[in-house]
Amino acid sequence: MHIPDAFIPIWQGAIYWAIALVFVYLSLRWAKNELNEEKLPLVAVLAAGIFALQSFNLPVSMGTSGHLVGGALVAIILGSPFAAVFILTLVLIVQGIMFGDGGITTMGVNILNMGVVGGFVGFYSFKGLKAATKSMPVSAFIAAWLACIIPALCAAVELWFAGTFPLEAGLIAMGIYHAIIGVIEGVVTVAAIYLIVNVRPDLVDNGVLPVKAGAVA
Amino acid sequence: MIDNKTLVAGGLVIAILIGVVAVFLASGDPDGLESTALMIQGEKTLTGPTPPDAEIQEDLQGKFEYSAPMPDYSLGEESGSGGGILAIVGGTVLAFLVVIGLAYALKIAGKKNPPDGVQ
Repeated sequence: MHIPDAFIPIWQGAIYWAIALVFVYLSLRWAKNELNEEKLPLVAVLAAGIFALQSFNLPVSMGTSGHLVGGALVAIILGSPFAAVFILTLVLIVQGIMFGDGGITTMGVNILNMGVVGGFVGFYSFKGLKAATKSMPVSAFIAAWLACIIPALCAAVELWFAGTFPLEAGLIAMGIYHAIIGVIEGVVTVAAIYLIVNVRPDLVDNGVLPVKAGAVA
Repeated sequence: MIDNKTLVAGGLVIAILIGVVAVFLASGDPDGLESTALMIQGEKTLTGPTPPDAEIQEDLQGKFEYSAPMPDYSLGEESGSGGGILAIVGGTVLAFLVVIGLAYALKIAGKKNPPDGVQ
């Protein structure tokens, strides 16, 4: 879902950058207030893990592949959509500058889609679903699926606005491909939450716990 | 429960392993966005396979151009999978270090837990 420089005119990229920077600033404020020496290792490991997982493209049929984005995972584990903005921004900077995965002028729009939209959709849909279903895996799976497909549909609209994709064809193709890629997002998100809850339950947001007891937190 | 040192060591080992395995096993098919672009450019159908020679046409007029040092997570064709492993491992460690570096800049490193009951 990483939009390259060639897909969006510079002036539009600048507008998305300006909006993204507001959220990046808020995510830095979140980090300064909420992170401490105890939580820092988990945050750094999550960034490394998301970078590695994003390089692992799995086939999803129709001549297409996909990988975890990670916005929902991070937001759910750390209990804030700004955690997703914080980590995804740093991962996207490394990917864009070092590996040309996602552009430079389009880094703002990529931060908006995957970090901001992915983080907020993932976090709040998890919160709502968990309250309704009382089930962590069901809520996390659906939240992660939504946090994959909704940013993809946003990208389709942005690329229509940029004159790169026609609206209907872009929405249909991005929607269909990411509806399947979202299953990877859901499965990996639930597995990673179980793994982290098992090794460091003290660092996981109270909204996720307790997983094993199945009780409401 | 594991301590922070084990969390970092274990987490990095798992991340690096995922990256190394990805070099050999990751699908070469385009991702969802690239597939959509290829379909719109008439190089593939919505549900059909991607032809091996399909290539995304990029209109660079009025667009920004930038050449990354390790495009496509590789060090170039001649360096093969070894180069791919170096690139992915380097990127994974870099993502980790960027967070730690920023944490130092924001004075998060060294900050203790808030007292119990304070969030």
